[in-house]
Amino acid sequence: MQRSVVKKKVMKANFVNPVEETMTSSSAPSRKALSKIACNRLQKELVEWQVNPPAGFKHKVTDNLQRWIIEVNGASGTLYANECYQLQVDFSEHYPMEAPQVIFLSPAPFHPHIYSNGHICLGFHIANADILYDSWSPAMTVSSICISILSMLSSSTVKQRPADNDRYVKNCRNGRSPKETRWWFHDDKV
Amino acid sequence: MYSRRAGAVVWNLSFSHPLNDWEVGDFASLLTLLESVVVTESVRDRRVWASNSSGRFYVKAYLEEANPGGIVAFPTQLEPLSALAAEYQSGSRLARKNKGLFLCVSVHVLGEEYAAIRRTRGDGNCFFRSFMFSYLEHILDSQDKAEVDRITAHVEQCKKTLQSLGYADFTFEDFFALFLEQLESVLQGSGNSISHDELVTRSRDQSTTDYVVMFFRFVTSGEIRRRSEFFEPFIMGLTNSTVEQFCKSAVEPMGEESDHVHIIALSDALGVPIRVLYLDRSSCDTGGVSVNHHDFIPASGDPHNAAGGSSDTINPIITLLYRPGHYDILYPK
Repeated sequence: MQRSVVKKKVMKANFVNPVEETMTSSSAPSRKALSKIACNRLQKELVEWQVNPPAGFKHKVTDNLQRWIIEVNGASGTLYANECYQLQVDFSEHYPMEAPQVIFLSPAPFHPHIYSNGHICLGFHIANADILYDSWSPAMTVSSICISILSMLSSSTVKQRPADNDRYVKNCRNGRSPKETRWWFHDDKV
Repeated sequence: MYSRRAGAVVWNLSFSHPLNDWEVGDFASLLTLLESVVVTESVRDRRVWASNSSGRFYVKAYLEEANPGGIVAFPTQLEPLSALAAEYQSGSRLARKNKGLFLCVSVHVLGEEYAAIRRTRGDGNCFFRSFMFSYLEHILDSQDKAEVDRITAHVEQCKKTLQSLGYADFTFEDFFALFLEQLESVLQGSGNSISHDELVTRSRDQSTTDYVVMFFRFVTSGEIRRRSEFFEPFIMGLTNSTVEQFCKSAVEPMGEESDHVHIIALSDALGVPIRVLYLDRSSCDTGGVSVNHHDFIPASGDPHNAAGGSSDTINPIITLLYRPGHYDILYPK
């Protein structure tokens, strides 16, 4: 099974068509209106968030259901204590069948898995897959993603950019979305 | 991939999964195509996609090129089992060339008990898609109101399971509602009841079927977690991961293929018996004349045959044909 997982990842990667993807997509998500199902789900999810927000996060009220801006407060006792960052969460028309796109707005925290352009490699190292984009399922929520991101921040032992930051960010200049990135897991400790 | 032996070009392709038999024909034409290419070794290599004027590869253009008659709609119309036999024959030239790639299975044996096959889309969700179509078709044909009541009670139970496991209602309720809606629509006299053709058309609609597939994935995941001690040894044997990791990475995400763990869990959770026929290499060991099958009989709740009287034989509602990596629907004679 472990082997077959690896194989499937390879196949998935092969099906990503680099030419087409980079030509048609941009980091600003296409503003296609949410489907009725997506709209319904997001409204319920927002109500749930308001009743029961994850600790350390604050949703900034806007009238845009398709793009949430969320404030993150670094947990006390960690490298990011007393620091505040902003997450931008964009939902496609097919949410929740498709993962939302989550990035840090500038300035992004210094972290070995967070690039200077705000892209996050949210590794789920046991399965060696990115929980956001590789093994997303509708059972996950904005709240559960936020909790994973905070836990990733909290477990960090160094404040530094990923080793391949410059190369990655340069490659993103033509408007590459983090969803298209097949993350390379450089470090299993963070 | 490519080497020169005694002046002749030899192609040595490797694939990340064993070829499915319906892919063998395509593979043969690929080889024929490759063999017709003259390789000039003095020129520097570069990649050009010949079907496009720009020389660039596009998935869409490729699909149009590969399926001149339009992309096949899944689930397909019923095909007689002889179509399956023909598939094996069309690959026979290659079978001689590439022993081992091929499954030495007697489709003839299958033909003694089964009349027809309906193919489903091979995108990792084919078990769930097959289950969905087959089950709804069974209700449409039988108009078995008691069965609908029975499964509805099970669905309600699954909902409670997910709630007790800590899933927020909004994550799964839309998927549950959509399945129940489909179920209601195949019962005649409900006001919005549908015909058989309509069921086929609807099952080809990506967003509807994706939602129903996701419903099954929730049900399967809930059942595995609810009985995690029971499923743990199976899962450890498959992946070396915990039950929770397995559910998160191999059950809940769309496109993750189903194994016997998924089938047991879905069959148990909904109380629906499933028969799976296996056409794979293991069939060769017995001389190539037998087709193995396995019945998944619900472990709990009311067994479906209770009304039938005979307690030893089950009457599976759903019969699937498994070939490595793929499930299709079989129709008994």
